Amino acid sequence: MPALRRSEWYDLARDLNWNLSYVTEDEAFPEVMSNNYGITPNEKWWAWDEPYKVSYREYVHNQYGKDASVYSVNSVIARSRMFEELDPGWKSAIVAHYGAIAVPEYLAGLGESRMGRFGRAAAWRNMALFGTLDETRHGQIQTYFPYTLLDKEPRMDWAHKALHTNEWGAIAARHLFDDMFTANDAVSTAIQLTFTFETGFTNLQFLGMAADAMEVGDLDFGALISSIQTDESRHAQQGEPTVRILVENGYADVAQRLVDHMFWRSWHVFALLTGLSMDYYTPLEHRSHSFKEFMQEWIVKQFLDQFRDFGLEPSWYWESHFLPELDWYHHALHLGVWFWRPTVWWNPDAGVSPAEREWLEEKYPGWNDTFGVYWDTIGDNIRRGEETKTLPETFPMVCNMCQIPVVTPAGFRAGKLESPEPHIHIHEGRQYVFCSEPCKWIFQLNPSRFAGHTSVVDRFLGGEIQPPTIPGALEWMGLSPEEMGQDATNYAWAYEGLEAPGAAAS
Amino acid sequence: MTTMRRRKARTWSLLGEVKRKPSAYEAVTAKFHYHFRRDPAPWELDPEMAFNRWYLEHREGSPFNVDDWEGYRDPAKLTYKDYVTLQHERELYVDGLVDRFEAVDHAASYSEGWTDTFKALIVPLRFPVHVLQMASLYVGQMAPSSFITNAAHFQAADEMRRLQRIAYWTQVVANAKDGAIARTETARDPWERAEAWQPLRETLETMLVAYDWGEAFVALNLGVKPAFDAMVNVALRDLARRNEDEFMALLCEEFDRDAARSRAWTTALVRYALERDPTLADVVNGWLDTWAPKAIAAVEAMGVLFEQAPEPVAGEELGEMAREGQREIAGAAGLA
Repeated sequence: MPALRRSEWYDLARDLNWNLSYVTEDEAFPEVMSNNYGITPNEKWWAWDEPYKVSYREYVHNQYGKDASVYSVNSVIARSRMFEELDPGWKSAIVAHYGAIAVPEYLAGLGESRMGRFGRAAAWRNMALFGTLDETRHGQIQTYFPYTLLDKEPRMDWAHKALHTNEWGAIAARHLFDDMFTANDAVSTAIQLTFTFETGFTNLQFLGMAADAMEVGDLDFGALISSIQTDESRHAQQGEPTVRILVENGYADVAQRLVDHMFWRSWHVFALLTGLSMDYYTPLEHRSHSFKEFMQEWIVKQFLDQFRDFGLEPSWYWESHFLPELDWYHHALHLGVWFWRPTVWWNPDAGVSPAEREWLEEKYPGWNDTFGVYWDTIGDNIRRGEETKTLPETFPMVCNMCQIPVVTPAGFRAGKLESPEPHIHIHEGRQYVFCSEPCKWIFQLNPSRFAGHTSVVDRFLGGEIQPPTIPGALEWMGLSPEEMGQDATNYAWAYEGLEAPGAAAS
Repeated sequence: MTTMRRRKARTWSLLGEVKRKPSAYEAVTAKFHYHFRRDPAPWELDPEMAFNRWYLEHREGSPFNVDDWEGYRDPAKLTYKDYVTLQHERELYVDGLVDRFEAVDHAASYSEGWTDTFKALIVPLRFPVHVLQMASLYVGQMAPSSFITNAAHFQAADEMRRLQRIAYWTQVVANAKDGAIARTETARDPWERAEAWQPLRETLETMLVAYDWGEAFVALNLGVKPAFDAMVNVALRDLARRNEDEFMALLCEEFDRDAARSRAWTTALVRYALERDPTLADVVNGWLDTWAPKAIAAVEAMGVLFEQAPEPVAGEELGEMAREGQREIAGAAGLA
């Protein structure tokens, strides 16, 4: 054990900023890779100071221990029947998680690597290098675990291939994550990936889901994602000093805009991924909190504290759009995802048995009136043997920002929106459809970043998807008939409290 | 419900019908860069937005390209888990080394002359090593396959390792000899202004803006790093030993274990590319015509610092070591 404590020598490994003279700062830190937002000269960035420090030797010693522990849990569990015995809804939650998260986490390593090269202070670049390694870990470990489950659940293949496909959820994930880190400059990445996304939303996905996993008895997934979060909370701290530099140099408005932009986008994708998993896919008896409760405790409170600490304001849409959506948005998405279930790579769990509906009504008063009525009809159709009426014949509109189907009619029905209509915007002669005012606002902030992109529906209408039918679209999305989502419990929920399916006929 | 299946999957479907079950290394590395050569652009945003243009120009558009990069393998076959396991063990070794030399108060035994050399030559090395760290990350983030990205990112981490071990020992020597040794200016002033350091700084700063990913890789891993590593890991090792600094010599030897891994993945990558397209030898050699002499000149300018040590290494000897470093890797890569 070396005699000097880290604090006695570590500044020598951090204070490595120098004045370039053989190339210009603009050449070495071009705006596309590192937007300084007008804060010049570069010395102003040298005050960047990470709150949590770690040395290389500490890093490899710690990470070795963490990996050894998580992989040994996996190795023991792989020889057990634990996976087979998991609840089908929970399996759907983890199949969805791996597809949407595993490879994007690896790609977050590219964003970290960009900060490691183009971050404007050496201390920052060093932290980002650890972030690069962390995300390599997260990409690899979250593909390795599903890899070991391929023989038990072939859909685990999506942990690896989802981002290679044009499945609509994969497009939404790519659009979000490319905007956030793979195609984002170093300064914006620090604020949007680490400050906005990793300090809040990954906490929700990784610790909230870990709590549920342990409840469900999925020790493998629980050990995996709680270990990941210990890395996230370390490298997420790159955001705070970056925000501080912007604020101290009079650019609080830039920080605010970057946060507001990415907070909204993260919210929408997490409503889709985590909202459904927590409130519908996790078995009722194992739900520790509702999604809304997790959001209030882990996101709303934390961001309000962060805004206050940095002299920022709650986002302009906080009271008017964000808080109201907590009551209805993910329920509407759940209904849509279940109905369009052939278009996803997991088996959506309806999660609307009588007991579950009681829980939903308790957690979300008014749920029965707004959403329960649709499930009543679906349940009737299932019980009458008219499954086809519960399956899609057309496609919904898709938002040109979040790439998620537009569900405004449900928000209107819930009394949370003034109109069921989507937001239409014309830019340079092209019409764009947005699901919400904030999605439109994000587009208008920087149209050149988004304008030439086409949504699934744009491509469908543009003739890119052939034949232009549901089967044609499913093939275009990369979904084989075996992989298309089905009801996770084979409609058992529709018969709970009634006669068993088929009982009447026997 | 679980999914119906037609056959038991041996591996990821994207890896195709494989005769041999892929290794764990392959399963967690292959085909992660779905965005390389993606149509219409790498990133799921406006195809014309600046980042798409950057990657299309500097990665897809690089002259250093083959039909398929996915067949390339790092000879060390490192996953993240393997990397931290390996370096955990190596850092335990270096921890032991530090313990051993701290126990005998080794830094206090430095002669005045060697302390001066340490201050002038070793202390500022943190800066160029940091640039090598930055450059390795650029190669990693631009590489067309994860098999390359990961090797480059681990290389960046190795540079940080080298840097931090120098930083630690700098503080130890400062505590034993002269507190000024640990001041930022003691390292930064020569790096920014001392004559001996300027060709190296010029080479590294200009290398940072070689944004074509192929050129960035060649400039760093075949041009600059082999010469720099010869200077630090070999020449400085010899210099330290001649001046009775066995700790520093052993540390440099340890650094060269990491550098050897870099040389191995680099030569394998060039060989892989040349096997697919022999004309790429001209592309690589064209870049080397620029970067190899610059790196040699940079190292040779440092000769004066090696010669000022109480027991010196001659400037010509240093230059020859750097040239040998470059020749060795070019030969192993099949470029000679």
